[in-house]
Amino acid sequence: MMTGISNSTSAFFDRSLGQMNDLRASLERFQTQIATGVRIERGSDDPVAAARLRALTRLERRGETEAENAARLGQDLTQASNEIEGVVAILQRVRELAVAAGSDTAGASGREAIALEIEQLGEELFARSNARSITGAPLFAGTAGAPAFVRDAAGNVTYNGNGQNGTVPVAPGTQIERGVTGDQLFEFDVNGTPDSAFNVLSGLALALRGGAADPAEAAQDALAGIDAALDSATRSQTIIGTRLDWVNAIQQDQETRALDVAAQRSQIGDTDVTDAIVRLQQVLTALEASQASFTRISSLSLFNAL
Amino acid sequence: MATSLITIGRTGLAASRAALELTAQNIANASNADYTRRRIDQSELVTTGRIDRLQRSTLNGVTIGNVDRLGNEFTQRQVRASTSDLARIEAEIAGLRGAESALEQSGLYESLVDFEAALTLLESDPTDSALRTAAVESARQMAETFQFADFALGNARDLAEAELGAGIDTINGTASALARINLDLVGAREGTAGRAALLDARDAALRDLSQEIGIEVSFDQFGAAEVRLAAPGSPVLVSAASASTMSADITPGGPVEIRIDGAAVSPAGGNVAGRVAALADYTQRQSELDAAAAATIARANTAQAAGAALDGSPGQPLFSGTRASDITMVLSGGAGLAVAPAGSPAGSRDTGNLANLIAAFGADDGPIAGIDRTLLSLSSRIAGLDTTRDGLAMIRESAVATMLAESGVDLDTEAANLVRLQQAFDANSRVIQIATELFDTILGLG
Repeated sequence: MMTGISNSTSAFFDRSLGQMNDLRASLERFQTQIATGVRIERGSDDPVAAARLRALTRLERRGETEAENAARLGQDLTQASNEIEGVVAILQRVRELAVAAGSDTAGASGREAIALEIEQLGEELFARSNARSITGAPLFAGTAGAPAFVRDAAGNVTYNGNGQNGTVPVAPGTQIERGVTGDQLFEFDVNGTPDSAFNVLSGLALALRGGAADPAEAAQDALAGIDAALDSATRSQTIIGTRLDWVNAIQQDQETRALDVAAQRSQIGDTDVTDAIVRLQQVLTALEASQASFTRISSLSLFNAL
Repeated sequence: MATSLITIGRTGLAASRAALELTAQNIANASNADYTRRRIDQSELVTTGRIDRLQRSTLNGVTIGNVDRLGNEFTQRQVRASTSDLARIEAEIAGLRGAESALEQSGLYESLVDFEAALTLLESDPTDSALRTAAVESARQMAETFQFADFALGNARDLAEAELGAGIDTINGTASALARINLDLVGAREGTAGRAALLDARDAALRDLSQEIGIEVSFDQFGAAEVRLAAPGSPVLVSAASASTMSADITPGGPVEIRIDGAAVSPAGGNVAGRVAALADYTQRQSELDAAAAATIARANTAQAAGAALDGSPGQPLFSGTRASDITMVLSGGAGLAVAPAGSPAGSRDTGNLANLIAAFGADDGPIAGIDRTLLSLSSRIAGLDTTRDGLAMIRESAVATMLAESGVDLDTEAANLVRLQQAFDANSRVIQIATELFDTILGLG
């Protein structure tokens, strides 16, 4: 077999075609990147960046969820705070009434009027203890279902919830407790004896109606219970206030983090438009030049000179 | 003497005409990829007579010799080898891209993350029926996405199997064509244009074969090709005038076995090897997808069993099925989600059990991380193969360029040959003309 070296015409055409195809392919890639704004069309374009994008997608999704959770928690806490404010107002009014009833100047009819008002306030207190969130969940029943407090036929109010607050995840590794439980808010010890705000109110009303031999003294005695009730209510209000502050701080964090994540996403996955356009232009120039030179060179055939 | 001059001129004319014809043939086949440039041998014709000790030579012009194919077996072999390597990688990439599309474009990862998010959102208000419904619908969506991804992966696999079958058919067709060429080669006379054309057809068939599968070729004295697979101990695919039959045993969803006349072989290159590798990868991806679906089912149902539904009843399974193709959300409604631990009363807002499910689902050995790993390993593999492909494409390009430099037609050379041969033809006519004139002169003397 003989060998010889020549400058094969078809090799020249193949080579030129291949080079122009490559240029066209990269043109189309840049064009797609610019048109879609996305640098990574499929994972294999850049596996590591694609994996980071997936992780960021998950982070972003989690961030959105946590922001939603924090917003809902903030609503619930604000509502609980409003209810507790009402409770404190009721107890303060009861205290004023008890002080008034404890003075000797109040007559039997005056005490009757006071007893009536205290009973009304007791009703309001009971209603507030069973307050519900926007979505109908009890605010003061812990993690138990509604109702938080029940009243039997004799008028005795008992706690129906549990002592667990439950938590809401609002940030990676951060869970905030929902609120305060009903027993924390309405039940306390007076001189070592368990008592509740409802008991104190109904007991006082009963004493003023003649249940006690000396209503004035009974009213003065009730002050200790009322003070204990006020104490636990204001303590709960402080707890709720602190948690609300915490939620606010977390929400600010969340916004910063969401911006960070979005910035990272953009950095990894988005097309750098300026860069892409410059490169597009560069490839375009190369393609035009190689097309022009191809036509020139391919027309240089000896046959034209024959 | 003048007669001899005419004879010499005639042989010269014949030789230049034959060379001109061959040049025209070369030009006509300039864009025929299977054509190898031809050259015609010429040799001087001298007859030597001897009478006793007196030796005398007579010049008789030129004889037309063999038609040579320009090219060499070594470059052909390099082209075949690099073609097989490139075809294998390209077929494998095409197959893996099918799997990547099925798993990535189906949005499976996103739907797993959505389900996790819906569960996390439920923690904020576990008795809210809107959130519960959203979580259950998200679970349904995720189950359907698993099924869709499974379906798409199955489709991609079917396509790769069909392509493998078509590739095997091509090999069998080309192998029997090659066997016929071998038979014809034995009968063809050395140095003829017919033999050159047969050798072109043989080399083209070998290139076609190497596109489909990696081959090892040896030639006998007639130029007939004996073909084996480029694998140790491979049986013969084509030998002399007989071709073996190649077949592929495809177990649905399982391994692929390539056989030659029933004997198992492992193809080392070409489309067939690439598709076999891609099919093996499909099997692995399928099992990873099924594992993620099974983990989803198991973790969700285990958590459900350890909890209490909204009405306080024990939690019922969230999903039925065992793998990606049959995972189905079976809970009748959002109230059935066992958010609270077992034994909790009706309407409990305890999210202890839900937290366990979220932790199990999002854990590093859970389905989200599993699918992420699958996608990463798949796309890394493709990206790696892409790089290798670029290298192999360059190797093949340079092998083809080397081959064409030897065997390709250069139109400029042929144009120069045309001019040269035309002049030679003219010159030889002139020789005959002069011989005639000489003869006339001699006759005129008389």
